[in-house]
Amino acid sequence: MTKKILIDTDPGVDDTMAILFALRSPELEVIGLAAIFGNAYVDVTAKNALHLVELENNHHIPVAKGAAVPLVEPPRSMGMHVHGDDGMGGINLPDPDGELLGIPAAQFIVETILANPGELTLVPIGPLTNIALAVRLEPRIVDLVKEVVIMGGTVYADGNASPVAEANIYNDPHAAAIVFNAGWPLTMVGLDVTLKVVMTKNYLDKLCSVGNPATEMIRQVLPFYQQFHMEEYGLNGDLHTHDPSAIAYLLDPALFQAEQIPAFVETVGSCSGQTVLDRQRQLGDFKEINVCLGVDDRSVLDLFWERLTG
Amino acid sequence: MRRFWIDTDTASDDAVAILMALRTPDVVVDGISVVSGNVPVEMGTRNALYTVELCGKQTPVYSGIDRPLLREPSYAYFFHGPDGMGGMNYPEPAGAEDKVHAVDAFIDAVRGSPGEITLVILGPLSNIASAVRIAPDIADKIPMCYVMGGAAACLGNMTPAAEFNIWADPDAARIVFHSGIPILMVGWEHCRGEANLDDDDMAFVRSLNTPYADFTLDCNESAIKTNREWLGDPGLALPDPVTMAIALDPEVCTKRGKHFVDVETISDLTRGMTVVDELGVLNKEPNIEVCWEINIPLWKETLYTTLRDE
Repeated sequence: MTKKILIDTDPGVDDTMAILFALRSPELEVIGLAAIFGNAYVDVTAKNALHLVELENNHHIPVAKGAAVPLVEPPRSMGMHVHGDDGMGGINLPDPDGELLGIPAAQFIVETILANPGELTLVPIGPLTNIALAVRLEPRIVDLVKEVVIMGGTVYADGNASPVAEANIYNDPHAAAIVFNAGWPLTMVGLDVTLKVVMTKNYLDKLCSVGNPATEMIRQVLPFYQQFHMEEYGLNGDLHTHDPSAIAYLLDPALFQAEQIPAFVETVGSCSGQTVLDRQRQLGDFKEINVCLGVDDRSVLDLFWERLTG
Repeated sequence: MRRFWIDTDTASDDAVAILMALRTPDVVVDGISVVSGNVPVEMGTRNALYTVELCGKQTPVYSGIDRPLLREPSYAYFFHGPDGMGGMNYPEPAGAEDKVHAVDAFIDAVRGSPGEITLVILGPLSNIASAVRIAPDIADKIPMCYVMGGAAACLGNMTPAAEFNIWADPDAARIVFHSGIPILMVGWEHCRGEANLDDDDMAFVRSLNTPYADFTLDCNESAIKTNREWLGDPGLALPDPVTMAIALDPEVCTKRGKHFVDVETISDLTRGMTVVDELGVLNKEPNIEVCWEINIPLWKETLYTTLRDE
C-alpha cells in the first residue's frame, strides 16, 4: 500500500534532494507538487519543481504555483544567499518542457485532499502560506487529510533564521500558526533532528559520483549550498539534512523519536517564528503536535543513500 | 453595461445594497461572493440568495471564507437580528448557491475579464485578501474597488477606534489595502446623522409601494431600532447602500483624497483602526482614496431610484 503525498516546496537545494528522494521511493506516490516562495521567488521555485518531476520521467505529476509572499506580513527575505539566484545553486537550468497547472496551489491542495479523503499526506517543506490558505478556503480538509508532516520549526536547537526561529516558520509565522492550530495530525520534523543528520563531505562526494540523473542533478546544485554552510556554520563540505529528513519520516517514522506535545507559534516581536512547546498548557489550550526530538541519523542517511543510488 | 462583483456578509444593509446594484439597468453583477461577518457565511449566503430571487435575477451566489484569517469570528446579530434580516424569517430561497468556492470564482471572473469588473466590498475582507494572496496577478486586473469599511475620521462602531468590517478581520483588510487594487474607502461615518433615512424618508420609501421598498424597511427593522436606541440617530443607517450608491454614481462622493492608509493589527485597543495619514507626515506613497463627504440628497435619490417600479 503506497502512501499518497503532496509536497509543498520551495526548491531549493535540499528541497531538490527531498523531492528526488520521494520520487525514487516506491512506498510513496507523489500526487503533486505545490510551489511556494521561500528559498527563491515562487516563479523560480515553480519552474524548478517542474524540472524535478521531468528529470526522471515523472511528467504526469502536476505542479501548481502558490503564494508569492507571506500571508499577512511583507516578505522578510528570500533564500537566494543560501540556494543561489535560481534556487538551484546557480546552475541556470533550461526551461522545463511542461506547464504549470491552471489552478493556484491552495485550490490544488484543497481539491487533491477532497479527491483522496483520508488518504493524502501533506508534506510542506517550505513556508506554510499555501497550506494556511487552503485551510481557510476549505476547513473540511482538516478532517479529510491523513496527516501533515512538515520540515520546519525548532524547539531546543538554535534557529537558522533568527536565534529562535527556523526559516520556514520565520518566513510566514502567521501561516504556521494557522497550520499548528488547525487540529489535524501534524508532525514537526525540525532543526532538533535535521541538524543531527549530517551528510559528510565524503558521503556527498561518493553520492555525486554515482552518475544517475538524480545524483547528477544533486552534484550540480550542491557546491553553492555547501559553500554557504562552510561560511555560515564552519562545516567543511558537510551538510545538515533538512528537507530529506521529512521524507525519511514518511518512509519510516520509527527512525525518529517523537512526542505529542501542545505547541504554538509566536507571531509578533523579536521571537516571531519561534515554535514553542507548552507541555503544561501554561499559556493556553494549544493543539498537540507530534514533535520529532531524536533521530537515528545513520539509518536516515542509509535510507537516502539506498534510494538515490538504487 | 457596467460590470460589478459584490463581496458581502449579507445581512440587512448588505441586502439593500445588493438590491440597488441588481436593479440598476446598466449594471450587470457577475457574481456575489459571501464571507463571514455580520452573520455566519451559510446564513449570509442564504440572505444573498433570497435578495437575488426577490429581484428576479439569476446572479450566481458563491459561499466563501467562513472566518477571519487569523482571528476568531464575531457576529453582529445584535444589530441585524437573529437571522441577519431584522427577524423577518424570510422563506428559504428556491435556488442554491453555486458549488464553486467564492474565492476561486472571484479569481476566475477577474482573470477572465481583466480591467472590466468593478469590485464592491461590503463585509470583512477575508475573501478578497485570500484571493490576492492566492492569485496576486488579480490586483492589476481590478479597475476600481469600493470598500464599505473603516472610519477615516476615527468614529468606530465596534470599538472607539474601529469599524466592524475592518475590525472583524484587520489582517485581511491590511492585505487588501496594500494590494495595489485602486480603492475608495467609504467609512461608516457617512451613513450617520442626516444620511440616515429619517421618519419622513422612511414614510416616503413606504409610499413607493413596491416589494423592494418594503423589503428595504422590513429587513432593517432590527437595525432601525438598534440605531435609535444605541446611537440616538434619527432612523435607519445604511452603510453598505451608501457605498453602493457611490459605486453606482461616483458623484455621490463629493470630496475625496488619496492618502497613505494603514490598518492596525497588533494593538488590542485600536485593532482594526484605519489610520489615515491626511497630512502626509509618514511620507509614504498614498495607497487609498478616502471618501470625506457625500451628497446626502443624491445618495438618497440613488437609493430611491432602485426601489421604484420601472
